[in-house]
Amino acid sequence: MARSTGDAILLEPSGPVPFETAWQQQREQQQRLLDDPQGPAAVLLLEHQPCYTLGRGADPAFLRFDPRRPPHPLFRIDRGGEVTHHCPGQLVLYPVLNLQRHGADLHTYLRALEQVVLDVLTVLALPGERSTGQTGVWLEGRKVAAIGVGARRWISQHGLALNVDCDLSGFAAIVPCGIADRPVGRLSDWIPGLTTTKVRPLLLHALARRFALQLLPCD
Amino acid sequence: MATHDIFMPALSSTMTEGKVVEWLKKPGDRVERGESVLVVESDKADMDVESFQEGYLAAVIVAAGGSAPVGDTIGLIVETEAEIAEVQAKAPKAPASAPASVVPAAEVPAAAAVPVAPPPVVPAPPAAAPVAVAAPASSASGRVVASPRAKKLAGQLGVDLGVLRGSGPHGRIQADDVLAAKGQPNTVPWVAEGPGPAVVSGGNGASAGNGSAPAPAGNAFGRPGESVTFNTLQNAVNRNMVASLAVPTFRVGYTITTTRLDAFYKQVKGKGVTMTALLAKAVAVTLARHPQVNAATSADGTAMVYPASINVAVAVAMEDGGLITPVLASADRTDIYELARNWADLVARARSKQLQPDEYSTGTFTLSNLGMFGVDRFDAILPPGTGAILAVAGSRPTVVASKDGSIRVANQMQVNLTCDHRVIYGADAAAFLKDLAQLIDTNPESLAL
Repeated sequence: MARSTGDAILLEPSGPVPFETAWQQQREQQQRLLDDPQGPAAVLLLEHQPCYTLGRGADPAFLRFDPRRPPHPLFRIDRGGEVTHHCPGQLVLYPVLNLQRHGADLHTYLRALEQVVLDVLTVLALPGERSTGQTGVWLEGRKVAAIGVGARRWISQHGLALNVDCDLSGFAAIVPCGIADRPVGRLSDWIPGLTTTKVRPLLLHALARRFALQLLPCD
Repeated sequence: MATHDIFMPALSSTMTEGKVVEWLKKPGDRVERGESVLVVESDKADMDVESFQEGYLAAVIVAAGGSAPVGDTIGLIVETEAEIAEVQAKAPKAPASAPASVVPAAEVPAAAAVPVAPPPVVPAPPAAAPVAVAAPASSASGRVVASPRAKKLAGQLGVDLGVLRGSGPHGRIQADDVLAAKGQPNTVPWVAEGPGPAVVSGGNGASAGNGSAPAPAGNAFGRPGESVTFNTLQNAVNRNMVASLAVPTFRVGYTITTTRLDAFYKQVKGKGVTMTALLAKAVAVTLARHPQVNAATSADGTAMVYPASINVAVAVAMEDGGLITPVLASADRTDIYELARNWADLVARARSKQLQPDEYSTGTFTLSNLGMFGVDRFDAILPPGTGAILAVAGSRPTVVASKDGSIRVANQMQVNLTCDHRVIYGADAAAFLKDLAQLIDTNPESLAL
């Protein structure tokens, strides 16, 4: 099967996915690209079962619970950044890309992921914005998207999490991304009735456009 | 001997410095070509750094938690097992984590050379590593391992690096070694900020050694010629300060007579009451009668927000940089003894970094006190999300002329209120300060009721 370098395998597991399952899938895709850097990229779009994750250098001081008895499963994972929370109603986008094809620049990559979210918000007519010196996307002072990535030989893992209509109470147990003074928000607070089903195609379209990818549904 | 450097990689064209998050290999471990040796972080992105050679990790130059400029050597790889033994035989063990030598003056007066346990979060430059054993820095091939600053100093001072013994990890020559070779003092004393006794007076030179150069008396996070990355807390404070530039502020000053307050403080000091607790209580009681000064502009700028309680935050400088504002919640309704106990507890836990976010982020009004340093006036930057902050200077005996022409000596201090003008107008600020001054001047005993 002939594939162009912009091809990306799209994986969209249904239902809330346990964190370990999606992490394992990402690592398999990353390993595939490490073995064959010219192969197609992969994109995972999913929602997680409630959990907390810490970046490799994350400070446990930003947990408001005892790490030995977390309210939901807690993982220390191979990405940058501080603690965050995942739960149903939050869309998680994990592009496993060979970043050598996208400029080989991790800061540029972080900004591009922010831009993907900003593109989605533009379609929804919401005034999303960046915050100088911080990674993520904000809407009227509330953080709606968190970003954290890891890479091996420029093959990326992890990505972005966009709060659509999730229950935000799980964020109360942490200081999200180590930023204490700014609350988190979700898009359904601005657009009542908005669901992840409606946002999924917008997010995929924005990603495909920003990174010039042809998304190939996996069957 | 073939030694290969591991360099701090450039993960981005806009990256000048990276942080070592984790070493995946220990010194002595076998390393395959293409195998991940360590993880570097820049912003919210991690990258595994791989070895270009097969061999053995011989030395960790920048420990986990430390930062280094792009292109700097952060570790060494050798080709054979024999070479690693050679390197380790003449090199002291690498520090397990980046140490810092910040000495809290209040706790260890004049003992500035005593290294203290490293703070858990803050990376320190490797030059600060206390290492017990000196080792020759030049390898068998004659290669001299020295820090960039050591090389620069050596050039300036005319010191031959080839004959020096390095005190850094694996015999790396540090700036201190070059200074020591020139007979210059190599200890930089650190003095912590904080509400301890004033450090501005003389007699601080105990640690300056035989002192051909004066030792700095103030706190510093780096040495001359260095560039030190802001730590997490400093970055958070920086963001808040920059954000405050978007707020239209103005300042109003007032001179308050404290003779009675000072006398009252002497009476209750024995019961554990501190001046901070008294001032917080006085401010809170006055705020209860001036709710406009406790209010703030909403985050979206469309409304004035009146908090449900009066929470007085008090700024405390952290010894390893940055500051934090522990909050005395409902200070107007809490008695002065309990306030003093709460404050002592908050400060102790702030120092050990155990405050919960709601204990430092829920202030509705902030107090910043530099009086203990003898400061006679200053102004403060308004913390975002609040309407006002009061800068309190030191109290001192002053000749005061009354309206009737009589002259007396009274203790007086200057306070300076910084306000968000969208919420608090000049008249609001003036009325608040007038009431606060009157309470402190004429009825401080009521604070204990």
